[in-house]
Amino acid sequence: MTDIRTINLAKILVNYSLEIKKGDRVAVLGTSLAEPLMLELERYILRAGGHPELIARIPGSDYVQFTESSNEQLEYISPLFKLVIEEYEGLIRLFSTVNTRELTNVPAEKQGIRAKSMSEIMKRYHERSASGDLRWVVSMFPTAALAQEAEMSLNEFEDFVYGATYADHEDPVKAWQQIHDQQQRLVEWLKGKQDIVVKGPDVDLKLSIQDREFVNSDGKFNMPSGEIYTSPVEESAEGWIRFSYPAIQGGREVNGVELTFEGGRVVKAGAEKNDAFLQEMLAVDEGAKRLGEFAIGTNVGIDRFIGNMLFDEKLGGTIHLALGNGFAEIGGVNTSSIHWDMLCDMKDGGKIFVDGELFYDSGEFKI
Amino acid sequence: MSDSRLENLAKILVQYSTSVQPGDRMAILAQPAAMPLVEEIYSAILKAGGFPYYLVGGLRSRVETDRLAYLLFTQGNDEQIQHVHQFEKKIREEFEGMIILYSQENTRALSSVPPSKQSDRAKAFIDVTKIYQARSASGEFKWALSLYPTHAYAQDAEMSLHEFEDYVYGTTFADTDDPVAAWNRIHDEQQRLVDWLKGKKMLEVRGPNVDLKLSIEGRSFINSDGHKNMPSGEIYTSPVENSTEGWVHFTYPAIRESREVDGIELVFEEGKVVKASASKNEEFLNAMLDTDKGARYLGEFAIGTNKRINKFIKSILFDEKIGGTIHMAVGYGFTEAGSKNESAIHWDMICDMREGGQITADGELFYDSGEFRI
Repeated sequence: MTDIRTINLAKILVNYSLEIKKGDRVAVLGTSLAEPLMLELERYILRAGGHPELIARIPGSDYVQFTESSNEQLEYISPLFKLVIEEYEGLIRLFSTVNTRELTNVPAEKQGIRAKSMSEIMKRYHERSASGDLRWVVSMFPTAALAQEAEMSLNEFEDFVYGATYADHEDPVKAWQQIHDQQQRLVEWLKGKQDIVVKGPDVDLKLSIQDREFVNSDGKFNMPSGEIYTSPVEESAEGWIRFSYPAIQGGREVNGVELTFEGGRVVKAGAEKNDAFLQEMLAVDEGAKRLGEFAIGTNVGIDRFIGNMLFDEKLGGTIHLALGNGFAEIGGVNTSSIHWDMLCDMKDGGKIFVDGELFYDSGEFKI
Repeated sequence: MSDSRLENLAKILVQYSTSVQPGDRMAILAQPAAMPLVEEIYSAILKAGGFPYYLVGGLRSRVETDRLAYLLFTQGNDEQIQHVHQFEKKIREEFEGMIILYSQENTRALSSVPPSKQSDRAKAFIDVTKIYQARSASGEFKWALSLYPTHAYAQDAEMSLHEFEDYVYGTTFADTDDPVAAWNRIHDEQQRLVDWLKGKKMLEVRGPNVDLKLSIEGRSFINSDGHKNMPSGEIYTSPVENSTEGWVHFTYPAIRESREVDGIELVFEEGKVVKASASKNEEFLNAMLDTDKGARYLGEFAIGTNKRINKFIKSILFDEKIGGTIHMAVGYGFTEAGSKNESAIHWDMICDMREGGQITADGELFYDSGEFRI
């Protein structure tokens, strides 16, 4: 018997996030551990009149791919994957790994090669996403490995995931509509504003958002969601930030990241743990040294850091910045093969001023 | 045909570690994830003429699985939590031996369970633990502890499962043609050290992270050569209970009951921990030290010798044997080493010695920066 919350999550993803309609082709990407959710997604996509395609990776295959492939083989992009990105109407990706540290010892260079070879297809993906031709959403199916990373039992972690997505709610769609409304007020207030100053124990940073809009992230692309974000003007970032939480990329954890920006570019970067990996990622391409995102997390149902950015970046009382690719749909022009989110706590005296006016203080919006 | 390294590990555990004899009742306690190794061990026990029993278990909580342990600790009343598991008891009181395989699917399943509940459950088991230790010391009960590589342990070790399997089968010598010969060599090297230490009275341990004196008068060092722990590679004793004086900073996290305690510093006076601090999970550390009277005294002092174990992987079975480290355990000591300390806990903590750590025995330099000097 399938957990009723798994069924609810499938309904949210199909009927709210992607609003699947008759004739939509929808690819569902996950691992074989996500079988219960993938089966429900198949059911609800069919009921909505769409054409589901379930693509399940087998636990361990990512590791085999990275360790057994030559550089040339790593650069190969599956034509099936291309077809999905270039033609499909829908894409659902499910975090459902068997081991969150599976790729820790794969040389960063190999991961860089893979990321670079993906950059063209990712560009297409972002274009079709921006035009609305490809509707996509990222979500999670709780596994033992993800629970362990979050330092929880699987039982608790299931409660956490289904709670944060409102899948345990009788009317999850209504709950997401309320979040939409609250965030819409903030996003509209920010329209036409120019300068952002972020100050606090871990940050002293200036950014321009001139002609850039904030996006209301209300559960359409990420499930769960709860953030507002923008791509700041690429040359504008000035100052310093220390990220209070570990930054995780490709199964590797980088602790105590500090960045200094001048003219929008990272001019100094250091980390307490895995500094070499940080430096390698910054060197992947020119765009990796500039910001693609500035965002504020608003989901107070997500009350702790769990080591997964899908949840962590929505943590109420935090901000996050991403190095690398920006959002074309809101005027971001930075391109990179990476988009690496890093998270900073604001609850202890972190403030955001917008054109000189106090907008946010210690986790609370002041407008 | 299974991985031949699995068959080798089963042979080591049955033929070398517990040397199963015809008629021996042998329990295998493991999680279902370990079935491939359980089957090899079961088969090896049959070949040795023993009676194998497989039981789902092998967890510190002595509940069958992580998920069931979570249910017991969150839904059970005090009486249920403190109920002694009758099968686990019978094995330790009556069987000739047991093989425990760590084989968890989620090493952090009990992170949010109050530590007091876990120590209450451990306390309720203490009478069984005493019998088991006495039977172990007299040789009536043969036991071995090993690990079946799962994704969960690989994740803690920051490795893929494939890499982690290589690590486990490498450090147990299951990847060699004659693993028993390898363990016999380790036995011989360590026996020389243990024999030299016989009759010594006072150890002084000094280094960047430690300044400690302890008496080993009347206590013997034990050669841990793969009989009770697989892998092994350490020599250990139980110091005189009221003798420890000084300070130690443990350079690796100490992990217990799903919780990681970082940066532990302990100060000892007359054998007792009089000050304990940690940079992460200090509250849990103090709760564990308050389990009972014996939890504030050392039950073990040991030197890790296995140089194939060269990476901290958050599994004490491996980590305490890292060549170039020492470890100490608060809580119960080993009767076979002469210990009198009793406690419901035995918690190992590890300190790196490779950069200038020295051990002198009765004033003579015994160990320096990871190398033995005698």
